[in-house]
Amino acid sequence: MSVIKVSNLTKTYTDTEVPVHAVNGIDLTFEKGEFAAIVGPSGSGKTTILNMIGGLEKSTSGTVEVHGQDISELSSGKLIDFRLNNIGFVFQAYNLIPVLTAKENVEFIMQLQNWEKTKMNERTFAILESVGLGNRVNSKPNQLSGGQQQRVAVARALASKPQFILADEPTANLDSKSTNQLLDIMEKLNKEENITFIFSTHDQRVVDKAHRVIKVDDGKVVSDEVKN
Amino acid sequence: MMLLKIAWRNIWRSKTRSAVVIFAIASGLVGGLFSSAWMNGMAKQRVINTFSIETAHIQLHHPNFADNFDVKRTISLTDKKLNEISKIGGVKAVTSRLKVSAMAATANKNMGVTIVGINPKTEKEVFGLYKKVDSTSGDFFTSKKKNSIVVSKALAKELKVKIKSKIILTFQDYNGEITGAAFKVIGIFKTDNSPWDKMHVFVRDADLRKVVEIPKGQSHEIDILLDDYEQASFISADLKSKYPELLSEDWSEIQPYLSFITEYMDMMMGIFMIIILGALGFGIVNTMLMVILERTKELGMLMGIGMNRKRIFLMIMFETILLALVGAFLGEFISLLLINYYGNVGINISSLAEGMESVGYSAISYPMLEPYRYLQITILVILTGIFASIYPAFKALKLNPAEAIRTL
Repeated sequence: MSVIKVSNLTKTYTDTEVPVHAVNGIDLTFEKGEFAAIVGPSGSGKTTILNMIGGLEKSTSGTVEVHGQDISELSSGKLIDFRLNNIGFVFQAYNLIPVLTAKENVEFIMQLQNWEKTKMNERTFAILESVGLGNRVNSKPNQLSGGQQQRVAVARALASKPQFILADEPTANLDSKSTNQLLDIMEKLNKEENITFIFSTHDQRVVDKAHRVIKVDDGKVVSDEVKN
Repeated sequence: MMLLKIAWRNIWRSKTRSAVVIFAIASGLVGGLFSSAWMNGMAKQRVINTFSIETAHIQLHHPNFADNFDVKRTISLTDKKLNEISKIGGVKAVTSRLKVSAMAATANKNMGVTIVGINPKTEKEVFGLYKKVDSTSGDFFTSKKKNSIVVSKALAKELKVKIKSKIILTFQDYNGEITGAAFKVIGIFKTDNSPWDKMHVFVRDADLRKVVEIPKGQSHEIDILLDDYEQASFISADLKSKYPELLSEDWSEIQPYLSFITEYMDMMMGIFMIIILGALGFGIVNTMLMVILERTKELGMLMGIGMNRKRIFLMIMFETILLALVGAFLGEFISLLLINYYGNVGINISSLAEGMESVGYSAISYPMLEPYRYLQITILVILTGIFASIYPAFKALKLNPAEAIRTL
């Protein structure tokens, strides 16, 4: 059974002078353990697709099923709970909580899930160690480089034990070294722990690492290629 | 706990803005608390002075004595009653007085007064008038000279008398005859209530009793001082049942104005603080709206990763309350220092002394605020924080996570 099944998904923005058809009836499925990239130029609809898969935006029509459950039917309150327990997010601008340390940022999502303190502590240290930040647990975001902040964001996304992680242009603000480090970490997590990653990106370095590349343009899937 | 931690740290993200709000709250509270303490101090001083100089806490009279100060309407067996009352729990001291309406005359002027016949020893245990006679203005019946009189500075000025001057008092005696006697001024007092001062003169009980021919054992008034003035109504009720033939009144019945000013000051302080906090509340709302605007992206991210509406709401509410509380504690601390300082040295508005004393208030007042007031204010500040957070929190809850994350 697929983890995510997207059927005939459309999104039209009507709050503009002229309606904008951002996504035009796409169909996609993602299996457990995929390391997939949705690529395309700016305005092609890749972030909108990712947002709808993550339940951050409602589709105009079509369905997004996660483990057979149509999330477009969930109320906004249930959708928040759904995201908390099923989806990890990594954003382009890191989006960490600036007043919390790396450790607290990772713990935060587990606290929302009401984890027991000892287990939460163990998991936080293990995850931060796995993203190479075992020695920066008490640093606040403004004391970390962009690459380190994005690794904390990955650690936070992993902490809640999600079904899959959605990463929206995660390398857009990073230099080559940080990009490579981040991608290596995510690939390692994908291989060793079978965590599903879906990226939206136009960064060739991400495309090169991805095992599956879905090209979109004008809100449509123009190619869907699985690498060997 | 994590929400509280985030809320607390968020306050210090924009130190200047938070400092402005904190100082606004603190100065508002200092203004409100200090002026409340000043008014409260004046009112309390007025109440305490009235107990000490005029009314004590409970008075007993013949039921019709107050109608026209008829000298025949006396309390009988006064000594026995004084003895019995002094044994009642909560009674600190007790004394009896004679009270006779009279005309005080000198070569210069005549004035209507009430002669108060006192027993100096027990009088000093109940009333503090003797403290109002300073060493340069004679004494309060320390010698046993007959027909001595103590008058107020205001009356002395009107009658143009000084120490050792004579005043002729004319009044109706126990038999209805007009009679009089000459008294020599031995002391001059001054209280903070000039109208009262002008209307009362003090002589020895024995001297007055003799000229008015009031039989031994009878008095016009029994005055009772209690350990706690708030027990007055209960003890007065006991006395009513013990002495049904007498009229027993507690201080709030003798001077309804006193309980009125106490309650009025309470009410005024409440209204005053609510107005101040209301105004501050709008300032806090404005600040929190700016906070929401600035943190739109962050709030979008929090909703995106799964922080539910209740937690978002609580986080904003905690931040607002903590911000308000920091200002409140600072304001309360400064107020405490100011109130303690001026509570000791007093605030002297001698330029208004005449006007103040004409309505019974002292020109020097000592601000005071009961400790529970600080707790009340803290609770009011928390409530203000809660109310002030509602609108900004709802604004935050209306954010669309995807749009909010996209904002710069």
